[in-house]
Amino acid sequence: MSTRPRVSSALPGQPPHFGSVMAQQPDLLARFGALYATFWSEGVLPHRIKEVARIRNARITDCGF
Amino acid sequence: MTWLPSAAASTPEFDAVLGLRPELRDLFRRFYATPWDDDLLPRSVLELCRLRVAGVHDCAAELAIQDPEAGLTPEKRAALAHWQDSHAFSPLERAALAIAEKMPWQHHEISDADYAELRRHLDEPATVALTVALALFDAGCRLRLVLDVAPAPAATAPSAARPLH
Repeated sequence: MSTRPRVSSALPGQPPHFGSVMAQQPDLLARFGALYATFWSEGVLPHRIKEVARIRNARITDCGF
Repeated sequence: MTWLPSAAASTPEFDAVLGLRPELRDLFRRFYATPWDDDLLPRSVLELCRLRVAGVHDCAAELAIQDPEAGLTPEKRAALAHWQDSHAFSPLERAALAIAEKMPWQHHEISDADYAELRRHLDEPATVALTVALALFDAGCRLRLVLDVAPAPAATAPSAARPLH
């Protein structure tokens, strides 16, 4: 896996990161944001369980971000 | 048959299971359908990549879905499992498929060269759209497999206006 960004930032003055690269597709980013924010802010699962699962998934997929 | 309860028998099983959380299901539908609904990429490229990711996962529910608007011939669909050895695919399709088939289990092996080849055919917004689409195909297969969703008859490509198959 490269450590060089493969797509540039769409936000002036910001380095490439998840949000600034996704901003190349503003509608896609907005719909992802709506889904992800709802997942985290509402629902029947305790926040702690979501966070434990998120961190474990990141380790399994070896995602340093 | 999924091990989760689902509401309406007339609703495709995947949509019905996600419908246990209707707000999340509707937001997921809208996000998942964006590459198709907003014409972010050629439908043929989306369809080939979707089927290739489903093939790598051996996901029958995803493989049962067809997008007639993609214009994929049965011959090309059949050639997909061995696309590297086939002359049926365009340079863009080949560049997209090279990344698509690594997405499920070999994501760390997707190389700068793979992306350099893709960027010869797609601009940056389209490159982001394809990458998100591939991640969604991967996630869609995982969801269907883990929830044990049965293949739906006459399943069609995603649209925010239709149930998910």
